[in-house]
Amino acid sequence: MADTPQSPAPAAHGQLAAKAADSTVAHPLGALERARVVVSPATGRRASLWEKRRRKRRDKHRSAKKCAFFRYCYYDPAFKYFIEQALGAEYVALPASTKQTIEAGAQHSSDYVCTPFKHILGDYIEALDAGADVLVQFGGPCRLGYYGELQERILRDMGYEFDMLNFSVDIEEGAIGWAKQCMKVVNPNVRVGAGLLKLASCANMVVKLDAARDFYLANAGFERERGSFARVWESYLEALRAATADRDVNNAYREAMDAFRALPIDKPADPIRIGVVGEMFTAIDERSNLELDSKLLAMGVEVHRMMNLTNRWIRYNEPNLRVGAKDYIGYDMGPTSTLTIAAAVRYGREGLDGLVHAKSAGCTPEIDCAAVLQRVAQDFEMPCLYLTFDAQTSDTGLDTRLEAFYDMLAMKKEKTRP
Amino acid sequence: MALPHPLKPDLAWVQRIGIPRALLYWRYGELWEAFFRGLGREVVLSPETDKAIVEEGNARSIDECCLASKAYMGHVDALKGRCDAVFVPSYASCHPHAGFCTKFQGLPDLVRNTFRDDGLDVVSLLVSDIRDKKGTERAVVELGMRLGATAKQAKAAYAAGLHAQKAADKRRAAAQAVALQDLARRRTAAQASGGPAPLGILFVAHPYISHDSYLCGSMAEAFERMGATLVLADETPHDRAYKRSFDFSRTLPWVANRELIGSILMLRGQVDGIVLVSAFPCGPDSMTDDAIMRYVQGLPILNLTIDAQSGTAGVETRIESFVDILRYQKLGGYVG
Repeated sequence: MADTPQSPAPAAHGQLAAKAADSTVAHPLGALERARVVVSPATGRRASLWEKRRRKRRDKHRSAKKCAFFRYCYYDPAFKYFIEQALGAEYVALPASTKQTIEAGAQHSSDYVCTPFKHILGDYIEALDAGADVLVQFGGPCRLGYYGELQERILRDMGYEFDMLNFSVDIEEGAIGWAKQCMKVVNPNVRVGAGLLKLASCANMVVKLDAARDFYLANAGFERERGSFARVWESYLEALRAATADRDVNNAYREAMDAFRALPIDKPADPIRIGVVGEMFTAIDERSNLELDSKLLAMGVEVHRMMNLTNRWIRYNEPNLRVGAKDYIGYDMGPTSTLTIAAAVRYGREGLDGLVHAKSAGCTPEIDCAAVLQRVAQDFEMPCLYLTFDAQTSDTGLDTRLEAFYDMLAMKKEKTRP
Repeated sequence: MALPHPLKPDLAWVQRIGIPRALLYWRYGELWEAFFRGLGREVVLSPETDKAIVEEGNARSIDECCLASKAYMGHVDALKGRCDAVFVPSYASCHPHAGFCTKFQGLPDLVRNTFRDDGLDVVSLLVSDIRDKKGTERAVVELGMRLGATAKQAKAAYAAGLHAQKAADKRRAAAQAVALQDLARRRTAAQASGGPAPLGILFVAHPYISHDSYLCGSMAEAFERMGATLVLADETPHDRAYKRSFDFSRTLPWVANRELIGSILMLRGQVDGIVLVSAFPCGPDSMTDDAIMRYVQGLPILNLTIDAQSGTAGVETRIESFVDILRYQKLGGYVG
């Protein structure tokens, strides 16, 4: 086709057409390439000899690193946003955890390390198998501060090769040290200014997640159609996972809250209200507390839970929070202790019917809190159920205890009803 | 808890101060005793740990607490009625590499809540960061002023406390040096005569375990019966061991564990084996024992966990077999 006589080119394009013809002479075409030569009907001119390869210009501020977080409650949209938008790297999403996850984690951990360590180690193994090459770990003032280093050692001993973005390293330099870590491990070309703005909207996402969750916990127990709240919640998470800017986050939140409020509920005037307090991981994370939220909501309970990332990190002012609990504690007793005890005291003052204290096996600060909670429960005549979660996967025992607790609260409420 | 300003001598009535002989007493005991004596107070120590104390502490504590903290509650109980107030300090973890287990941070509130119905008074202070010498002094001097002393008197008492502490640390380091020298001497003697070489074992445990003759007395006895010499890792000079531990870990947050690990790194060439002893379920040790087992190579390590059971036969069997293995290895029994 290329050597077929061409229709006369318009004068303006004459030169170009001649050039094209020249190149045809210089490079005889194969059969396949000949077939691709197109004669554009409008100009009658052959548009291009080779189909132009669509080459996307590489964004030099992006990194090819594939980063993975551990599974943590409902915060994976925020983690994804942090990696993709703030750090400009790729995020490796993990599927829902299975029995094998915790089994693998427990197998490679020491026996009496606290349970989140085992869950997270299991997650990391799955993330590395799924192709991640950077793992992210936080730092904290308890054993959490040593999680990253030990987990890195264990995984390397197993034979994995990866980098770790460990926020315990250079913690003495504060935010500057963390920013350096991010640049060193994940993306040296990160846009710092834009990244900081994205970080702010990531924090906004966490706040919006927690705000919607609070509404969910307060109302989902009374839904008229079973599963309607969970459906909206799931679609909210999906919308947030797709968010790329602050506006998307706010829109998703507004839509989800409108949808939540539109759902029909049958809420009695004086429902049974239970406050959930406890350690940062286990009190919130549904796979470690064997879906405590869902179990409580299914019994038709209004659930309150102050512990979340918003209240523990974004709006955390420990000395002021402690003022509310000063009858019980004079010092900060550990990373989440003040929030646990202050929340329990507040629930007592608000007259909630019961308290559930959820912690992982071996969590030292929360074990110490239990001694204080006994006093709080005593003073406010508010029964407290102490739950310790280990790497077990059977929830039959939990069901029995929760049902008995609920029955007790219901009977107490009936008796004391004016 | 912020101190009242201006400082009021609200604790001036406390004349007899009780100090539980447990947990951080084994690290800072000399300092506290000298400080309170310097302020003219009478110091009452709880008796040595025994079965009754551990049982009482067990009854007073949440099941999941570690053995050492249960024993602490027993010691506080033993002081009840024998003093005006019990001294329970809070040592927090504001330094990212020289913190303490959160147990030491929450201890005053734990004691207050546990003994709320017993009318027990607690005298306390907050040490946020032990590497911050000025801040620590300020906290201690403020406590002295609340006890009715002038700032000058409180400073002098604290200086006396630091002096006593330094002397005690030096004494312990000297004891360790003597044990090591003795070991080296016997080793050369054995080499010259061709007799059996002595066994040196590094005993790695928190001071509140290794110096408490009830909690690990049977272990020390078992090692001695087998003819092994114990070198206590917690007696190594703290500062040097702390600095050395950075070769092992960048992020390890606990100062006590750092000192033990630094001590292992410093002394590993002079001993034949290492014993790690932890109180069940010690939070920091649950992680550092794992790390030590993974990364200290070339020396046999025995990892023992003690809990409240009174039978010692199981532990003794493990110690005996460990010492047998070390002996056999010395004779060239195992390759590698």
